[in-house]
Amino acid sequence: MSPPQAAARLAMPLAPSDPDVRDPELLPRQKAVIRNVDFFYDSFRALKNISLPLHDKRVTAFIGPSGCGKSTLLRILNRIYELYPGQRATGEVLVDGENILAPGRDLNLLRAKIGMVFQKPTPFPMSIYDNIAFGIRLYERLTRSELDDRIEAALRRAALWDEVKDKLRQSGLGLSGGQQQRLCIARAVAVEPEILLLDEPASALDPLSTQRIEELIAELKDDYCIAIVTHNMQQAARSSDYTAFMYLGELIEFDETERIFTHPKQKQTEDYITGRFG
Amino acid sequence: MASEHIVKSYDEELRKLSNTITEMGGLAESQLAAAIDAVVKRDSELAAVVVEADAKVDQLQQDLDNLAVRLLALRQPMARDLREVFAALKIGSDLERICDYAANVAKRSIALNQTPPVRPVYALPRMAHLAELLVKDVIDAYVARDADKAYAVWTRDAELDEMYSSLFRELLTYMMEDPRNISACTHLLFMAKNIERIGDHATNIAEDLYYLVHGTRIAEARPKGDQSSLEIVTPNRRT
Repeated sequence: MSPPQAAARLAMPLAPSDPDVRDPELLPRQKAVIRNVDFFYDSFRALKNISLPLHDKRVTAFIGPSGCGKSTLLRILNRIYELYPGQRATGEVLVDGENILAPGRDLNLLRAKIGMVFQKPTPFPMSIYDNIAFGIRLYERLTRSELDDRIEAALRRAALWDEVKDKLRQSGLGLSGGQQQRLCIARAVAVEPEILLLDEPASALDPLSTQRIEELIAELKDDYCIAIVTHNMQQAARSSDYTAFMYLGELIEFDETERIFTHPKQKQTEDYITGRFG
Repeated sequence: MASEHIVKSYDEELRKLSNTITEMGGLAESQLAAAIDAVVKRDSELAAVVVEADAKVDQLQQDLDNLAVRLLALRQPMARDLREVFAALKIGSDLERICDYAANVAKRSIALNQTPPVRPVYALPRMAHLAELLVKDVIDAYVARDADKAYAVWTRDAELDEMYSSLFRELLTYMMEDPRNISACTHLLFMAKNIERIGDHATNIAEDLYYLVHGTRIAEARPKGDQSSLEIVTPNRRT
């Protein structure tokens, strides 16, 4: 090859690699789709036309200032708001294609399929064993040894088994805050859910326990679709695959977490995550 | 730039980072100008001053790096703030190299002054002026956080590369004509290469500034005009 030809060859640009082109086989599946959802506390419209997907085997984080509606949105996903009069939702929430807001659904079955863990750990005033057995017994008839196996599996899943295996008959209330929260997670996974809703699961916990919960979430996402509400942005950045930023009842931006925290599209989003909100 | 942080000290630290870059940029411009001045005027004393002044730039870069690491650890910057810190680290490194090259040019001019002047030396100030403009314009673009200005600088490096290729050929020819020129021409060759590298670093800065503003990189391949690595000059015929 003559020098001018060699020069021409070197000057040609490499084929551009387009990070946005992905093999459709590898894209995560949408487990749930929230579509045009409004929510009312009596006449106050707390959520305005929310639409977004929840991907299976992924973590979706909801962030935003106090009062933005993120916890409200979470509570629609398992219809737990229906415990309170004057609260209602319109629009659709499709889980595997079926609208769970439609009338005629068995709410208990729904809440087993879509489990929830709250900010303040809520162990039942029972033994550790019964805390987990309680939910299982509501839905299934198991032999003693089957029940034992299920409880052990749930506690292992929640990274709590080694710490409590010798004291399963002791009260759940005797555990530390971090352990109680993992007990609540074990309780939720024991009834074999498909979606886990975590409402500020670590905000009542110390930093070490928080990290254990985050590690647990990283393991759990292999099997479940997880939605987490958090006011801790670093936690959302560390733990989630997708992030939804909400403000005053509206969805401002939804995207892959990496994108949201490196170069978000909306100025409002950037102002919030960089601490310019005022 | 956009609105201020709720925590004001955060803004102050980012401003300090930015000001350090601006200061280093100013030094890069003045060091290069002084180095070329020393070459043209054959002023070895001025050259020595330039060489000594390089220590100041090295210190500034260390301060910059320390401040950037502190910001990363204590503030956990996100989005634009993170890109500001990231860009400052990279641009600081490029500016430090630019100043190194300027000091090298000055240092070599001291050796050059031991030999009689050769004709190709007059091409050097033209190249240097082009490089000076690239540095000045990219620092102006940084101060304004102007990605369009950055892109404009990015496209201009090819011209500097072409001047270098041309000077390369000229120097080889000069050396072949008379071996007594080899010493001076070799120094000049290195000096020209240094100036060409300054242009490359200014282009790097432009790319990092573009990324700072947009959060994405320039999609095109960098225009390259340096053919010298493929250059052969034979005694009877030029290729």
